[in-house]
Amino acid sequence: MLGVLDTSPFRIAIVYSVVFALGAVALLGAVDYAVSRVVDGSTDNLIEAEVQGLREQVLVLSRGDFIELIEQRSQEQDVRGAVYLMVDPQMRPVAGNVPAWPTIDASEGKWINFKVAVPYGDETRVHEIRAQRFPLPGGYRMLVGHDVQERQDVKHLVMRGLIAAVVMTLLLGLGGGFWMGRRILAQAGAISAAATEIVRGDLSRRLPVRAADDEINRLAREINNMLDKIEQLTLGMRTVLDSAAHDLRTPLNRLQSTAEGAMHELQPGTSGRRVLESVSVEVDRMRATLDALLRIALAETGTVAREPVDLSELVESVVDLYGPVAEERGIGFASAVSTGIGVRGSRQLLAQALANLLDNALKFTQPGGRIRVELRAAGTGSEVTVEDDGPGIPVDKRELVLGRRVRLDEARNVPGSGLGLSLVAAVAKLHGARLILDDAQPGLKVTLKFQGES
Amino acid sequence: MASSLAVDLAIVDRMLPKLDGLSLVQSLRATGRKVPVLILSALGEVDDRITGLRAGGDDYLTKPYHVAELLARVDALARRGESGNAETRTKLKLADLELDRMTRRVTRAGKKIELTAREFQLLEFLMRHSGQVVTRTMLLEGVWDYHFDPQTNVIDVHISRLRQAIDKGFDKPLLHTVRGAGYSLREDE
Repeated sequence: MLGVLDTSPFRIAIVYSVVFALGAVALLGAVDYAVSRVVDGSTDNLIEAEVQGLREQVLVLSRGDFIELIEQRSQEQDVRGAVYLMVDPQMRPVAGNVPAWPTIDASEGKWINFKVAVPYGDETRVHEIRAQRFPLPGGYRMLVGHDVQERQDVKHLVMRGLIAAVVMTLLLGLGGGFWMGRRILAQAGAISAAATEIVRGDLSRRLPVRAADDEINRLAREINNMLDKIEQLTLGMRTVLDSAAHDLRTPLNRLQSTAEGAMHELQPGTSGRRVLESVSVEVDRMRATLDALLRIALAETGTVAREPVDLSELVESVVDLYGPVAEERGIGFASAVSTGIGVRGSRQLLAQALANLLDNALKFTQPGGRIRVELRAAGTGSEVTVEDDGPGIPVDKRELVLGRRVRLDEARNVPGSGLGLSLVAAVAKLHGARLILDDAQPGLKVTLKFQGES
Repeated sequence: MASSLAVDLAIVDRMLPKLDGLSLVQSLRATGRKVPVLILSALGEVDDRITGLRAGGDDYLTKPYHVAELLARVDALARRGESGNAETRTKLKLADLELDRMTRRVTRAGKKIELTAREFQLLEFLMRHSGQVVTRTMLLEGVWDYHFDPQTNVIDVHISRLRQAIDKGFDKPLLHTVRGAGYSLREDE
């Protein structure tokens, strides 16, 4: 599931939602700033005009009339509108709708903001007031202001909306990205699963294609066309192999039968019989080489059944088949086979690959030497090792011997077609296994590393 | 055509002129005939073998083959018809050699013989085909389920071990080597 976070749609969605969120913050910030300026400005203008008016009134009215004027204006206004307070030199309220002179240390004539508790039905609420103060004759002082609580409320509302919008944008972006990422991941997963099957030899498999005509589906369709072509070519190859097998085996068969038939009419030991016997041996050798070549070609075209194979049982049975031969030849034979290990593939080809490895090991190990076969789990997969203490293969020739018909000079005096290891290599490739040739110091260590079942 | 003839055993080539050997076998089986069929083919891969046996063949032999191999297999198939219960009998017996498939016990002249699991399988296979020639390839197929011939003479060594176990110390050997063909488990006259 974590893989979704690594998909490109998810990353793009994250970048976009961050950019959108920043955009939303900037936009709403700008709107808030502009609105504040207009609204605050007009409130301030109202207060300044009132201050100006009262300064003029105080000059023409007696103190009693002025107090009455203040009282009158205070009552006309609800406290959430305009605010007035007149105090005597001892700071005691004389008139107005504010309960007490705010104790704010600011010079008169400057804007002040302060909070006042106001009755609101049964409860009291704290409202914010913006005001100006100015002196009156005789040591009296005057405060004129405006309740700006509503404006603050609106501001807070806008801020909350803003935060909610940003959070929503981020969440939606994340969610959308996650969804798209999963979609892509599901398709990519299906494609890579199909590709793995194809690589393992199921050439009839095709990549899954959705109806959508996006770039991934177009790509998948193109690859499928390519696979059609490859499958066609492989089938053609298979047909050629089959007919080659038939066309070569049938005459070989006739040769074999003729030789054997003629052989039985001759006394053992006569020169004619010896000639026919060597013909028969050669035909056998040709058949073995032909079989090996065809099997390699077949394994390389990857058209072999893939059934579950109990590798533990298989290695045991090969060990069991070769063990007595090694003992008979005075070669120490040891094996360590873990149980319960399986792979998918062809039992026959795997058995033959293992048999080839043991044939080789026996061929190159002297009496008194040792051979060791091991099967063990390795990571998610497993590995089979066949080790001997024969001459080994020089490092610079290891790649070479996996090719067809390579026999090193050291092996010239040993019988064999030179195809053994190439078949092992082809079988390994067909099973998605790695074939590793190592120095057993001294000797050769061949490892077949199988990947885990996916 | 094949169904109208009285046939004891059929050897069918997979690639006949103008006719597919497999469809011949299939039509033969469709008539309900239980004739043993040996399929001969130049196609020797595992998949081909499976399709051949699925079509109704009883055995499959890849070209080129030795005449001895063909004869041994024909013999085995023909006798399977007459002594068909050898496949299912729990006790197999040859001269004084007895093998019990249930208890996995082997005795010769009443004396218990210890065998490994594989030696037991090998002996069982030979006893089911007692009196016949059994080739190395047949043993590899029947006992190890390997459809290829290893380069090393692995079978010979297994046979010589089995021979040590069942024949050593007894007057009459039962396990014989048939030169140029294979082995045979039989009572020698």
